[in-house]
Amino acid sequence: MSARGKLIAVIGDEDTCTGFLLGGVGELNKNRKPNFLVVEKETSVAEIEETFKSFLARSDIGIVLINQFIAEMIRHAIDGHLESIPAVLEIPSKEHPYDASKDSILRRARGMFCAEDFR
Amino acid sequence: MVVLELEESSLLLDEKLLRFMDQLELLEEKRAALNSLIEQGWFSMAKARYSMGNKRVSALQYASEIEPLVCVHARTLDNGEVDFCTERSKQKARDEVGKEARSIEDIGPQEEGVRRRNKPKNNIPEKKEGEEASSEKAPEVTPIRKSDQNPQQDPLKWFGILVPQTLKQAQSSFTQVIELSAEIATLQTAILNSRQELKQCRKDKPILQEVSATRLEKLTD
Repeated sequence: MSARGKLIAVIGDEDTCTGFLLGGVGELNKNRKPNFLVVEKETSVAEIEETFKSFLARSDIGIVLINQFIAEMIRHAIDGHLESIPAVLEIPSKEHPYDASKDSILRRARGMFCAEDFR
Repeated sequence: MVVLELEESSLLLDEKLLRFMDQLELLEEKRAALNSLIEQGWFSMAKARYSMGNKRVSALQYASEIEPLVCVHARTLDNGEVDFCTERSKQKARDEVGKEARSIEDIGPQEEGVRRRNKPKNNIPEKKEGEEASSEKAPEVTPIRKSDQNPQQDPLKWFGILVPQTLKQAQSSFTQVIELSAEIATLQTAILNSRQELKQCRKDKPILQEVSATRLEKLTD
């Protein structure tokens, strides 16, 4: 790959991670930490938040994909991320369909209008 | 003059608002496509799991070393927006080069007919039959090459040599999802940028209105 591009990180349940790894986004070796986290029932919120923040701190990650139900657990951390890179995308999971009203980006975009603006 | 500026500001505000609405509509369309593709991918994976077995399509099958096959390039534009685009590495070309190198060594003429099974290690780099030796040793060399190629191999191979078509379909769906994700990430930054611009324009408009009102009062006086 010319001029080494950035990675796509994934925080999701097993099926989500397996799917995206099948697509070729995964990186796993002894020298660097993996760019994905498989969230299971036993995975703590602290671990998820720590992993999310570590992805934001890495300069080699361009996009972070996260299941929306996991994003809800660390909503405060996602709302606090205001930079353009890495971009955070909330995606549905098998048991939790995508809800636009919960998406951080759309909530920020929606919140700019009030009744007076339309007079 | 101030009245003209006010009119221009209003037109600009309208233009930005329409652009913002268009971007939101486009985002909604892409989101729907993304969700649909992801669901399709899961469905194909479920069918593959049904035919292969539960544990055969799971995190247990991930390779111990993985190299990414797709990366994303982020380019910051002048207006503050970020453009994301994906790039997929040409992993097949590397496999083909490996095969060609091996086939050349296999086809190469043999200088000596005598085969040595247990060669001392010192002799190997010195002799010209080093090429032969490597060709003779091709079966032994292959595992080393395989481990070199492993990190960048097709992830389908983690799940077996002959995988069902449904797993390939799942891979194809998620490949499209990855490309769409880059487009959505670009749109999201554009939407946030438009929001900022709209906010700024709305702040400037009342100031211009006040200035225009005071100047009109002065003129009437």
